[in-house]
Amino acid sequence: MNEQNRWERVSGDAGEAERIYRRSRTFLGDVWFRFTHKPTALFGFILVVLLLAFCLIGPVFTPYTYSEQNNKLASIPPLLKVYPGPAEGSNLYITQGLKLIEVDDEGHLIRQLKKKKDDSKAKQTSFTWDDDTLVYLDYSRLPNTVLDRDGNRIETAKTVWNRTYLLGTDQLGRDILTRLMYGTRISLMVAFIAALVNMIIGITYGGIAGYLGGRTDSVMMRIVDIISTIPLTLYVILIKMCLDDGLLSIIIALSSVYWVDMARVVRGEVLSLKNQEFVLAAKTIGSSTKTILFSHLIPNAMGPILVTVTMLIPSAIFMEAFMSFIGIGIAPPMASLGTMCNDATETLRTNPYQLFLPALVICIIMFAFNFVGDGLRDALDPKLKK
Amino acid sequence: MKENNTPMLQVQHLTKHFPAGSHKLVHAVDDVSFSIERGKTLGLVGESGCGKSSCARTVIRIYEPTSGKIFLDGADISALTQKQLLPFRRKMQMIFQDPYASLNARMTVHDIVAEPLRAHNICATRQEEHEMVREMLERVGLNQEHANRYAHEFSGGQRQRVGIARALILRPELVICDEPISALDVSIQAQVVNMLRHFQEELNLTYLFIAHDLSMVRYVSDDVGVMYLGQLVEKCAADEIYAHPLHPYTVGLLSSIPVPNPRLAKEKDGSGLEGDLPSPIDPPSGCRFHTRCPFATERCREEAPAWQEAAPGHFVACHRING
Ligand SMILES: Nc1ncnc2c1ncn2[C@@H]1O[C@H](COP(=O)(O)OP(=O)(O)OP(=O)(O)O)[C@@H](O)[C@H]1O
Ligand SMILES: [Mg+2]
Repeated sequence: MNEQNRWERVSGDAGEAERIYRRSRTFLGDVWFRFTHKPTALFGFILVVLLLAFCLIGPVFTPYTYSEQNNKLASIPPLLKVYPGPAEGSNLYITQGLKLIEVDDEGHLIRQLKKKKDDSKAKQTSFTWDDDTLVYLDYSRLPNTVLDRDGNRIETAKTVWNRTYLLGTDQLGRDILTRLMYGTRISLMVAFIAALVNMIIGITYGGIAGYLGGRTDSVMMRIVDIISTIPLTLYVILIKMCLDDGLLSIIIALSSVYWVDMARVVRGEVLSLKNQEFVLAAKTIGSSTKTILFSHLIPNAMGPILVTVTMLIPSAIFMEAFMSFIGIGIAPPMASLGTMCNDATETLRTNPYQLFLPALVICIIMFAFNFVGDGLRDALDPKLKK
Repeated sequence: MKENNTPMLQVQHLTKHFPAGSHKLVHAVDDVSFSIERGKTLGLVGESGCGKSSCARTVIRIYEPTSGKIFLDGADISALTQKQLLPFRRKMQMIFQDPYASLNARMTVHDIVAEPLRAHNICATRQEEHEMVREMLERVGLNQEHANRYAHEFSGGQRQRVGIARALILRPELVICDEPISALDVSIQAQVVNMLRHFQEELNLTYLFIAHDLSMVRYVSDDVGVMYLGQLVEKCAADEIYAHPLHPYTVGLLSSIPVPNPRLAKEKDGSGLEGDLPSPIDPPSGCRFHTRCPFATERCREEAPAWQEAAPGHFVACHRING
């Protein structure tokens, strides 16, 4: 056999064998396909969309603003325990301040009854219903109740859903639903901006450290180590204390600290990518460092970067809520989920719903973003390609 | 086409050591010298891990040489900074070993092939760039439809052609092929090699062609250099190395190719290569091959053999040859 022939024999028709069989999909198309085929990821994504709709479009549909107070209707829960009133189809709700509110059968709050006389001995208060009818509130023993025409305690109450304030009001009489919308908006905004800033700082810092390597890398990473040995929460609080109240300072506080994780992730990725042949190829071509960093290294590290960002969003939200909760966050009357929780703790025993609702929203947000982050990580892993 | 006698590439005493922790060094390339005439091909062979890639990457200056000189078309490029190197990068390009790892999975074929044009600001307009990329892709047998796809959708052979298109679009004069076909199917290997030969004739390219077995190299090379543990042990014309291998390592390499050639079969000593490649961190003293050489003597263990011309144009470093 002639050695030379081994190379010549095959002709061009081998091209047939190497036709592309897989349907052409872009990288993003692939990611989207895998993402939407994971139920938890899709669920998380839908939750995020719903949350965005809730906080962006929602305020259009409520008649209240986040700061409008109505002291007469403070701390009205979403579910009302009502007693039959004197007129047909009317009901009476007893507030925590021992006042009577007229509620119709559907749950709309009609008016607050005027107090006539308080008999502290009998522990009864009379209220004017109309010109010639009085209703009596009996608070001699629990549960407080209303007396019927014959002066007997009405023991059977029914429960109606508060139609005027769907999720009730807080202790200043502000609509909780509306405040939740604005609070979610603030929380998401803080989180998105903080995540974006963190991403930019982290990518640049980690990218440079990983790409330059050597001593520069050591020094830069030691700085990151030093920053991260002290709990980030402490930093944020300290930074926040030095700045004024308000949204901007929260964002600055969050942005100036959380990038260390991102920097670590990016640096690790860049370190492992920079000796791959496509990066060497870019060097032999003579591409600039900028091109190598931003069109070769960073795009290939995008998977872990995106995952880190989606994981960073819930922690930023949590941090914002936490700061607002301990009272160094958003200035009142602006609502944030954290301030709402904080306000609610004062009356936690009597009005648990005031804490439960914002806490629930925080949970939903965290769940949603964690699901999305998880799904993204799986979707961006090309080894799972179907 | 200009005629001149300066070799396209001349490498003198090139050395590349990598730090390997606690003051140890990997002697990846040690005192390697060779030159390649314009339009010719030097094949570089050796076992895996003997420093071929390191040598190629140092020559093209993606690794910093530890010492030694590199002359590209007469100009010393061994001490230039990356910025100063930029104009020289147009003259030398590289085709990589792994067609999967050498293309960025996040870029379309068009962007990959256009990258050199963009790095050197060659095209004034997008239109012009598009035209050049299309023409280059056609020459490597890919069409416009392939240009907008991502590299991961292609087969190995197609990817390697994209790699070739990227290397050749700048019209370089020297192309370093680092095992361009060893990751491909045999049938596709032939296509790629034929394409490389075709471009060599058409564009008068100079190749440094790296491979790990001699059979491949013979077909493409004018000269062949054999590397062992970071050093060049034998270098001569391609046919000569098959007809009269002098270094025992070359003989061993040749006998490890299954060639039904009775004349060669007679020449080999019944055995191929035995043992493993010693660590390049602590290379053996004297002749580095003595640990595996069937003819090793006391002298081989102590004294490094000189690089001598055993026959006209046939260089070898071995104590058995007394020129
Ligand atoms: N960047 C590096 N850092 C440290 N050591 C390296 C580096 N690159 C290569 N080496 C070492 O240098 C030696 C030669 O490696 P090289 O990749 O040049 O071999 P090769 O001949 O190309 O092998 P192959 O045929 O497998 O490609 C090996 O021992 C390897 O471990
Ligand atoms: Mg190699």
